[in-house]
Amino acid sequence: MIEVKNLTKRYGKNTAVDNISFVVGDGEIVGFLGPNGAGKTTTMNIMTGYISSTEGSVIINGFDILKEPEKAKKQIGYLPDMPPLYGDMRVSEYLEFVCDIKNVPKEKRSDMLEEIYDIVKINDVKSRIIKNLSKGYRQRVGLAQALVGFPDVLILDEPTVGLDPKQIIEMRDVIKELGERHTVILSSHILHEVSAVCDKIIIINDGKIVAQKRTDEFENMSEGFFNVRFKAVKSSDEILSIFSGFNPSFDGVMEMGTYDFSMSVKNENGDLREEIFNIASKENIPILMFKPVTFSLEEIFIKVINNNYSGDFENGVLDENSLENDAEKIDDALADEEDD
Amino acid sequence: MFAVFKKELRTYFNTLSGYVFLGFFVLINAYFFSNFNIGQGIPTYSNTLMYTLSMFLILIPVMTMRLFAEEARQKTDQLLYTSPVSVSKIVVGKFLSAAVLFLIGLIIIALFPLILSYYGEVPFWETFCCFLGYFLLGASLISVGLFISVLTDNQIVAAVGTFAAVFFFLMMDGIIESMPMDTASSLAFVAFIIFVISFVLYNGTKNIIVSASLFAAGIIIEAGFYFYDNLIFDGIIIKVLNWFSVLNRFEGFYMGVFKLSDVVYYISFIAVFLYITVNTIEKRRWR
Repeated sequence: MIEVKNLTKRYGKNTAVDNISFVVGDGEIVGFLGPNGAGKTTTMNIMTGYISSTEGSVIINGFDILKEPEKAKKQIGYLPDMPPLYGDMRVSEYLEFVCDIKNVPKEKRSDMLEEIYDIVKINDVKSRIIKNLSKGYRQRVGLAQALVGFPDVLILDEPTVGLDPKQIIEMRDVIKELGERHTVILSSHILHEVSAVCDKIIIINDGKIVAQKRTDEFENMSEGFFNVRFKAVKSSDEILSIFSGFNPSFDGVMEMGTYDFSMSVKNENGDLREEIFNIASKENIPILMFKPVTFSLEEIFIKVINNNYSGDFENGVLDENSLENDAEKIDDALADEEDD
Repeated sequence: MFAVFKKELRTYFNTLSGYVFLGFFVLINAYFFSNFNIGQGIPTYSNTLMYTLSMFLILIPVMTMRLFAEEARQKTDQLLYTSPVSVSKIVVGKFLSAAVLFLIGLIIIALFPLILSYYGEVPFWETFCCFLGYFLLGASLISVGLFISVLTDNQIVAAVGTFAAVFFFLMMDGIIESMPMDTASSLAFVAFIIFVISFVLYNGTKNIIVSASLFAAGIIIEAGFYFYDNLIFDGIIIKVLNWFSVLNRFEGFYMGVFKLSDVVYYISFIAVFLYITVNTIEKRRWR
């Protein structure tokens, strides 16, 4: 059980984390989602006791991280955004050291380490020197380090960054497996990753929580709309005028690319592909491609962090400009992150 | 504490720095040993040790530059500070590892006086005393190097900074001699110290009234002493700085005179620097 209350971190005038509160129950897998620079890493660093908060408290299994740091830290395994590895050590030496520093009793060690080697699949590299390992293996050794002592709470900061797609899937499976025995908090700026693994998603932007819901609730936000993606050789103005002329609820047309449109319609009549097709054929517009799409979590995410999903989204209209703005904002955030 | 100690000692020998230190230390000692003790037939090893003192300029940075700077650069400090170990234990563990490496070097070169004793009378206690003093002096400078290593995440910067600090401590006696003795500069010096103490207090508490009144009270007391007996202040700069001179304390050991007060001095010197190191780390995390 993790309770975070009114957590605030200020660097001078700059507020990195602004009054964040949430509760994570035992055995939950919670995802921290937010663009780069949103305050995910800062929050995690405070929760693990690496840095202190300006205000607020973090209580892990009943121990306050500032008042009883050693007891609270015993409950946590932490994988920071850069795995804390000593390049000159061998993998087995390194994990022995982690056992030492985390006070794992000598008699339990060998069994525990064997189990960890199996879970993160590093059996074949355990006698290699860490600096010669590939990024994927380093990440796994970092995860192994967090697992030492099998703490109740695992805090993983962007565990899949820099991994190849196969490794990402493996890492996700490992995390899901760990979620059966541990409380897991992980952060990511990749949405489908969080939605694939987590029970609950907390979206952070500019140091504030903008939404926290169960994953299926986020997915249900796209219910009640029918979205279709189609290609037709017409300009977006023409397409818009044709569809708005026939039915007012069709006016949510967005140009995704050249002759590539996405249309969002309030879904009262179920699948509307037939009607759209009929309209198009009446106007003599050949449809080159046609497929229904679910509203992607990406779009929900962007709407939520912009605090305006209730407006545009409810009308079922995706405004082209707003999406472009969002893309710019995310680019800016990325650039800021690089500047840091 | 033991975990960090073990890891650091292992790292000295996993990387080359441990071997570089030991090799260089033994080589220099062997050179002076063959030149003085064997070449000139001098039976005391203390002189030889005295000649190698200037090697601290290079040896101390070799031992200490990596200790915290590399942790910060590789971000492995995140593992240390999020583990259920207090910062003071981490600092002491690191200090002990460097001190033990230094001790290993001393044990190796203890072979040289042992060789001498085959050929004549070697004053055992005097030599032992000198080794003890040499160790304490080295350990004190290690604690300085450890502190400097905390201030940066760049090993080279840490090494250069430690070089400068060791240089300062070794040259301190010469600097002290050139200090002015007259009353006016002594008064200014004391006032400066009072100001520094008040400023540290202000920095810690952010309470301007308490700090200012402490400064005012200090100046009034200073003035009181001056009017009571203005000779008190003569040469006070030299007296104070002499107290800080680590090299000064070594002379007793070098002569073969064991004084408990000198041992206590070195141990408190180390304790103060370890304390500042712990505080610097804690403060950074609270910033």
